[in-house]
Amino acid sequence: MKHVLLAGAAALALTAGSVRAEQLTVFGPWLGPDQENVEKVLAAFAAETGHDVRYVGSDSFEQQIVVDAEAGSAPNIAVFPQPGLAADMAKRGFLTPLAEGTAEWIRDNYAAGQSWVDLGTYEGPDGQPHLYGFFYKVDVKSLVWYVPENFEDAGYEIPQTMEELKALTEQIVADGGTPWCIGLGSGGATGWPATDWVEDLMLRTQPPEVYDAWVKNEIPFTDERVIAAIDEFGWFLRDEFVAGGRKAVASTDFRDSPKGLFTSPPQCYMHRQASFIPAFFPEGTVVGEDADFFYFPAYEGKDLGKPVLGAGTLWAITNENQAAHDLIKWLQKPEAHEIWMGLKGFLTPHKGVDPSKFSDPTLRKMNDILLAATTFRFDGSDLMPGAIGAGAFWTGMVDYAGGKPAAEVAAEIQAAWDAIK
Amino acid sequence: MHPALQGLITIIIGVGGCVGYFWLSNLVLDKVLFPPRGPNAGRNINRANMIRPWLFLFPALAALGLYLAYPVFETLRLSMIERDGVEEHWVWFANYARMAAEPKFIEALRNNFLWLLVVPAASTAFGLLAAQLTDRLRWGNLAKSLIFMPMAISFVGAAVIWKLVYDYRPIDQEQIGVLNAIVVALGGEPQTWLQIPFWNNFFLMVVLIWIQTGFAMVILSAALRGIPEETVEAAIVDGANPFQIFFKIKVPQIRGTIVVVWTTITLVVLKIFDIVFAMTNGQWGTQVLANYMFDKLFRANDWGVGSASAMVIMVLVTPILVWNVVNARREMK
Amino acid sequence: MDNIAGTRSALGWAVNLSVLALVLLWLFPTVGLFVSSFRTADQIATTGWWKALVPAEQNLTLRTAPPETQREENGRYVIAGNLFLEDGREPAEISAWGISSRAIDAYRPGETAELRRGGTITVEANGDYRMESAEPFTGSRGQRVFVTAEIPPEFTLENYDKVLGKGVVKRLAVYALAALIFAFAVRWSLRDREGWLVAALPTVAGLALLVALSLVFGLSEGEAEGAQTTDNMSRAFFSTLTVVIPATVIPITIAAFAAYALAWMEFPGRALLIAAVVGLLVVPLQLALIPLLKLHLAIGIGKGYLGVWLAHTGFGLPLAIYLLRNYMVGLPRDIIECAKVDGATDFQIFARIVLPLSFPALASFAIFQFLWTWNDLLVAKVFLIDATGETTVMTNAIVELLGTRGGNWEILATAAFVSMAVPLVVFFAMQKYLVRGLLAGSVK
Repeated sequence: MKHVLLAGAAALALTAGSVRAEQLTVFGPWLGPDQENVEKVLAAFAAETGHDVRYVGSDSFEQQIVVDAEAGSAPNIAVFPQPGLAADMAKRGFLTPLAEGTAEWIRDNYAAGQSWVDLGTYEGPDGQPHLYGFFYKVDVKSLVWYVPENFEDAGYEIPQTMEELKALTEQIVADGGTPWCIGLGSGGATGWPATDWVEDLMLRTQPPEVYDAWVKNEIPFTDERVIAAIDEFGWFLRDEFVAGGRKAVASTDFRDSPKGLFTSPPQCYMHRQASFIPAFFPEGTVVGEDADFFYFPAYEGKDLGKPVLGAGTLWAITNENQAAHDLIKWLQKPEAHEIWMGLKGFLTPHKGVDPSKFSDPTLRKMNDILLAATTFRFDGSDLMPGAIGAGAFWTGMVDYAGGKPAAEVAAEIQAAWDAIK
Repeated sequence: MHPALQGLITIIIGVGGCVGYFWLSNLVLDKVLFPPRGPNAGRNINRANMIRPWLFLFPALAALGLYLAYPVFETLRLSMIERDGVEEHWVWFANYARMAAEPKFIEALRNNFLWLLVVPAASTAFGLLAAQLTDRLRWGNLAKSLIFMPMAISFVGAAVIWKLVYDYRPIDQEQIGVLNAIVVALGGEPQTWLQIPFWNNFFLMVVLIWIQTGFAMVILSAALRGIPEETVEAAIVDGANPFQIFFKIKVPQIRGTIVVVWTTITLVVLKIFDIVFAMTNGQWGTQVLANYMFDKLFRANDWGVGSASAMVIMVLVTPILVWNVVNARREMK
Repeated sequence: MDNIAGTRSALGWAVNLSVLALVLLWLFPTVGLFVSSFRTADQIATTGWWKALVPAEQNLTLRTAPPETQREENGRYVIAGNLFLEDGREPAEISAWGISSRAIDAYRPGETAELRRGGTITVEANGDYRMESAEPFTGSRGQRVFVTAEIPPEFTLENYDKVLGKGVVKRLAVYALAALIFAFAVRWSLRDREGWLVAALPTVAGLALLVALSLVFGLSEGEAEGAQTTDNMSRAFFSTLTVVIPATVIPITIAAFAAYALAWMEFPGRALLIAAVVGLLVVPLQLALIPLLKLHLAIGIGKGYLGVWLAHTGFGLPLAIYLLRNYMVGLPRDIIECAKVDGATDFQIFARIVLPLSFPALASFAIFQFLWTWNDLLVAKVFLIDATGETTVMTNAIVELLGTRGGNWEILATAAFVSMAVPLVVFFAMQKYLVRGLLAGSVK
């Protein structure tokens, strides 16, 4: 009986898809090349289901989606780069829970499935937790970019441990070079690259449980373990370690800073940034040849395994219609992932995809880092409430780069957090 | 429909509607309600004249009330409310208390005072200077239009322009920002101008002064030319020097215009958020109230504190408001 | 006053010089951006824009041809060519070169360096190089060569092609020239007439021709690289016009009537209303955003053109009423009294006498409002732009472009300049009316 019912439901869903073609607006943070990529994915969905899909990208997605939701003019699907914001909106009743069974599907088909379900589950306006967000497209953040030929010229080896990385940093200075390019500038979002540094170092100095507690503010920002992680970042910020000195860090645009790797002579040798950064390399740079990356290593002496920091975009329904549910369902197919894998800048935790579909070996190498991780943690600032993760934490890190002591910065961030409780 | 066509139709409907409204309502008033004929002609004319001003004023009053007066009260209400999901609770002054405890707010308040103090004064002073200097020059009009030009530039554009001026490169590289190039040429060390605590506020203000001076200059220049020649000539006959003529004769006569200029620039300063938003986003101690509020409204999603800070802006302008009103009333008499 | 000697001669030079200094100071930042928008990314990063006309010494990273192009000559493997041509650049004069990033100026032109993987390379001053080795060269890429060279000044329209679409600038320039000629022709044909309509007609005619030409012949030479950006920019352009023109015209109409009532009609509460307008003048725009958005939604306007027109109207009104009233009050009382004695109604006085006489003030406010609405970002973001992507404005398009190309000064400068172009054209074309409107304090 159940079988028949299911078949009936499937048939119904099919007819619904083919007969009632609907208009579907998808609103996300991607512009430029990524926009073209997501449009290709959505075009495949449209071709398959007959829905009329339109993607719109905005640089100020975070603000726009809030205004639109308040305005009642929300798109059907919003692609959140920050789960924290999605949680806010779920609480205020702007999101529609995903169809029954989605959580089970994620648990079964995504690597570390439960963590992805947890990241997409929030309290609704009724006070009950529901699954609101589906992760599609993941970034790995724990990467260090370098120019292999520059390493060759200088005879440097890729460091396998944090101890080696620090030794290499000092070695480069001793050789008369500058090891790091760090830029925190990002217009209204200035400061966020530093939060990634701190999170990565948190995972490398403390067990993941401490990280989780920190992100939920169960241990305060002023905890000595947090301050130690901030100061660990401070180690890399020393004037002689950073191109332009410490004071250039906050004023350099994050999109500008990797360019120092490619100048003649090189302004720096290494740049820690997420998997998307090649989009900002000088034109014509070939990843894998002109530039490459290695895993931002862990301390050998700390026995914390190989932690990986990442992020991802979360697709949620902000204006319910059948097409929106169809899209979420369709994104569960391996093909939906393989289309973007064949383009650029896409990683996925989907276990059912064919890795040979990656457009270049670099992406595959990144996906391998993702799979080799003993610990995977989501970008903490994206999980914190907007006022912290997209506010006080950013500005605090800018102050820190400007020379304010870590303890003071941490106290200010904690005060901001206390204020919103 | 093509948006351009839609726009055209709107203009026709909008303007036609306005004109039609004024014409028709006057017609009804004169021909139907109180015709200036018959036994009550005199009384009718008086009555019509009592009503007519309100016909002329109605659309403007409606728009002003709805778009400026009502939001003030709604914002006041929102500033005393906390939203919990979809529920609203009255929390009275809790939002204000929360806001006052934030160091960023205090910083924004301080900076706003600085902006209000410096920018209108500097723009008006520069504008007056430029207006007076270019007044009798043969190429005065050309000079004026060049100084006026930044007025046509968006704040976003101006922010880009000045970011290039303030650009910082490490000392071992060639500077591409004018300011640092000058400093280096004079033997100094390049500075990250927008990060120097306290003084960076002034580097941001320069951008707005640069934009607003032209506006001040054009209006004040018009006022200077409106001064009756006789008063100036009389002063010259009395042996006044050019400075005395300027400060003792000309400036007092255009005081009303200076107030207008001052008021208008103050209004711009209060609105100012684009420049701070685009150049520093309130980092390094450059926060201003409007940007703080934008942060609270759209980033932290805290409408209570956001509205509260908007009310603070409102309170901040009240003295200027009162002064303006008093001034306007005096002028009318 | 001009006849009185001494006043002028004593101050003449000082005034001229200080005005010149002031003008240069004011112009300098904008010129920097303008010049930068015509420079290549390399040049912007290497030298300040004020050195754009002098040759610059630049450090370049060039690459020889890949090993697959090697030939065998007398048992030795050879790769030869020209470094600049290989990179698609204009040839330049090399003063020093190197093969390691640690020593980029280790060799003079004509010297020979040992390659780390075996073999030698010789680089000449003009960029010609020759690699030789007994063993075949391997790998997929050519050898990196660092050169220090004098690069001649270089200006390019490429940045504009990237931001606006291929060939748009060139076409626009041609259309604008045609429009300018047309405008002058119209002005010439009307030379014997007078009045404000005659004064405005040439500008309107020129602009109309410009728009017509662009619509008929198109602006872009086909799809350029990044066609999406181009598409968005042209749509943003028309969208901005759609926002700006009604948002300028409607408040003027409404304000003119109100200003007349406040200036020339006697009624109780007038002083109070004027005070209220003066008061509303300073109400910060930010205060209105959320309440009004809620209101628009509640009454079903939602987000869109209507909403943004109404919002701009509301926000522009206090200044419009204030300026127009101040101007109208200054009109000579006799004219209006006379008309009243002759039995003209207020509506007739307004339409036939006050409005034409107030044209300068109307025009000047129109230009202010045009510039403000064109340059506005915040109001458009809140009341117009929604997730459907149908509507956007230039400022927003620029900001979005900055988001994706934020690190590239050449794109940044060009995009910013494009956003300024129309206001600047309007400003310079209409400035006469603006200044006249402010100057005509009294009717002669």
